[in-house]
Amino acid sequence: MTSATPATSALSVRNATKVFGAQVALDNVTIEVAAGEVRALVGQNGCGKSTLIKILAGFHEPEPGIEVLVGGSELALGDPVASEAAGLRFVHQDLGLVGNLDTVDNMALGQGYITNATKTISWRKERSKAREALAALGYEINVNMPVAALQMSERTAVAIARAMSERGTPPKMLILDEPTANLPGPEAQRLYQLVRRVADSGVAVLFVSHHFDEVFEMAESVTVLRDGKLIDTLPVAGLTEEALIELVVGRKLEEHDKGEAVDREHGTEVLQLSGVGGRNVSGMDLTVHQGEVVGVAGITGSGREEVAALVFGGHERSGEILVEGKTLPQNRPDISIQRGVALVPAERHANASLLDQTLRENITLVDPGRHMSLGILRRNPEKSDVRVWLDRLSVKPSGQTEYKMNQLSGGNQQKVILARWLRQEPSVLVLDEPTQGVDVGAKADIHTLVDEAAAQGAAVLLCSTDHEELVRVCDRVVIMRRGRAAEILRGDKITVDNITAATIGRDSAEPAA
Amino acid sequence: MSEIQEVAAPRRRINFGFDKYSGIYVWALLVLVFALWIPDLFLQTSTLKQVLTFQAISAIVALGLLLPVAAGAFDLTIAGTLTVSVCFTAWALTNGHGIVVAAGGSILIGVIIGLANSLVVVKLKVDSFIGTLGMSSVLIAIAYMITDSSQIVLSTAGYAPFFEFARTEVFGLPLSVYYAALIALFFWWILEYTPGGRYLYAVGGNPVASRLAGVRVGRVTMVAFISSGVTSAFAGIVYLATIGTATPDSGSGYLLPAFSAVFLGATQIRPGRVNVLGTLVAIFLLATGVTGLQLAGAPSYVTQLFNGAALIIAVALASRTARRQG
Repeated sequence: MTSATPATSALSVRNATKVFGAQVALDNVTIEVAAGEVRALVGQNGCGKSTLIKILAGFHEPEPGIEVLVGGSELALGDPVASEAAGLRFVHQDLGLVGNLDTVDNMALGQGYITNATKTISWRKERSKAREALAALGYEINVNMPVAALQMSERTAVAIARAMSERGTPPKMLILDEPTANLPGPEAQRLYQLVRRVADSGVAVLFVSHHFDEVFEMAESVTVLRDGKLIDTLPVAGLTEEALIELVVGRKLEEHDKGEAVDREHGTEVLQLSGVGGRNVSGMDLTVHQGEVVGVAGITGSGREEVAALVFGGHERSGEILVEGKTLPQNRPDISIQRGVALVPAERHANASLLDQTLRENITLVDPGRHMSLGILRRNPEKSDVRVWLDRLSVKPSGQTEYKMNQLSGGNQQKVILARWLRQEPSVLVLDEPTQGVDVGAKADIHTLVDEAAAQGAAVLLCSTDHEELVRVCDRVVIMRRGRAAEILRGDKITVDNITAATIGRDSAEPAA
Repeated sequence: MSEIQEVAAPRRRINFGFDKYSGIYVWALLVLVFALWIPDLFLQTSTLKQVLTFQAISAIVALGLLLPVAAGAFDLTIAGTLTVSVCFTAWALTNGHGIVVAAGGSILIGVIIGLANSLVVVKLKVDSFIGTLGMSSVLIAIAYMITDSSQIVLSTAGYAPFFEFARTEVFGLPLSVYYAALIALFFWWILEYTPGGRYLYAVGGNPVASRLAGVRVGRVTMVAFISSGVTSAFAGIVYLATIGTATPDSGSGYLLPAFSAVFLGATQIRPGRVNVLGTLVAIFLLATGVTGLQLAGAPSYVTQLFNGAALIIAVALASRTARRQG
């Protein structure tokens, strides 16, 4: 516990427990935050962080026996209005801003506009109020510009300014969810200062984070949760990254293998990235060899989610990508396909499926002309071709080439998308979250198929947030941090714990090639 | 979607094809109703000929609309393109140019309009509905410019060879009907039996997924707009050769029936996607209804009433089908 005395306590939670069905999400957790203190709340997915926040926000009703004091007075639980009235203010990761409205309108959302006697909005007063609120946070922005046109950190500032505005009661505590997750370095710095200002005004700040950068830069103290239990609350000063990771993961980790000179590369070089950059990613170098499976790991905002699209040519990019020595032009998926690159994108409904078309049409979309003769697509050879692939990937129900895509389960849909690309016998197979929303059986099948594709000589690049998956199929794992390929794990260093630790690690390490 | 539902063998019910062929049933019903109601007026070969001839131009325009709609784009310029083509051809013929120049120029104008539409929709990223709505107003202005805000009448005697282009009868039907049939055959081949058809439907179904599967989405959309431009321009030539008079509102009656036919057609034969056979069924269903009612003495505005109601019913039916499938 920190040395916060009850007199200056902004928030005091005692014995918070929450059970969902048979699962204890939060187990008797006690946490205290002093006024003006900046506290980080860390832990792995499912450790109970969000549950605790949702109890404070009034979305979850906790088990009896809990006591929550805000600024010394008891908080009525299970009521979002009461939480707000008590002075608790929340900014969620998605910020909750309306992109095409300007700052003035966004600040007025949920609290109403200032009107004069005739119920006309007083834009002048609204504008100056918005400007003042932002100035108090150290930001000076054009309040009449749509927020979508603002920089990310400015948008966060708008959301925080809105949360901090007086609504009946002054704010006592600001609760942030992953505040700098999507921010590049310099913008994150700006936000650290903003949080500092908020705390200096006497408001306590509690932020949930997977980003150890922001923990060490912003927080004075950190509370660690694991499996719903409070592990410890301790000051950040004097804390090492290794010690914190150990608290989060629950056991001591082996030293990372950073920048080892020898690579377990095999086969010839097939895919080469040099100095590749995009919206989040910058200066990424990577080589994938024939028959090799290289994983890409990283938390949200690290650039991991962009790598697949950059390689395939779905995004604007800088730098150069070579496939078997030939340059891939950007923004031309069709040429990438001709050069032997295949992409199984994330979010198959949006990015890969033709939901109301047949499995046959979905699979042959990449080269529908394969069974054309005398100017006519021959449907029967096409069907038998497709049937072979449906069988090979054991798509259920079997052999139904004319089923519509939306008649299949998620796992089977994903196999159909995989069939589309394996049928092309690609030399480079890029997979982005290939087992997202896929059941266990289909997941194992998909992993086997990736192994087979590699065994047949494909260079495989697998971007995933599923660390077990990376351990299961990868020869090497590239760790993305703040848009850079920060580290590479090889061989027996590829473990779930090592990957987790590396993705949330700090950027002190030299970028690995 | 539950596992059990998928693994179960597809249920076979006795299927009268009401889902796919309801239009044909309704059409047969209409024929039956009019045959009983006004047998001496309706049951004539002249009625059949009248329906086919009157609908040839509508059919060509509607078929031209198929490709853009398959690719998920609206083309509201079809009627304007027809008008410009009618006016340009009449202007060219009355100013001493030959049939080849007049007709060839019209087709070229169709290509240019298609390119302009794709510039607006693909490059400038204007929503196709808005973009082509704006373009269609521009086209009407151009038609007024060409005709100098009046009408151009081609005398039957002076332009006989041109009129033969549409009016010559083969087996009792004018050539215009055969043109519509050939165009239907062509688009049926394109949509059902070529990679291009797959690309069109894929782009209409999910442009993002199509692009990531290597489909040149912009190019596919452009080809679709050019095809509808050329087809509408051709319809304009057939119109002038059939009617003989060009005015700046020649095409005004063709926009809504084309949309009605295409969307009603999307509920037929291959439910859920626009298709050639469905469109033809829809055209003749609508034409039979309208012709029958007119023969029975209904006022002429019944055409607009029928087409408008059909469009709304078609889209309502289509979204109901989509809901059931989803």
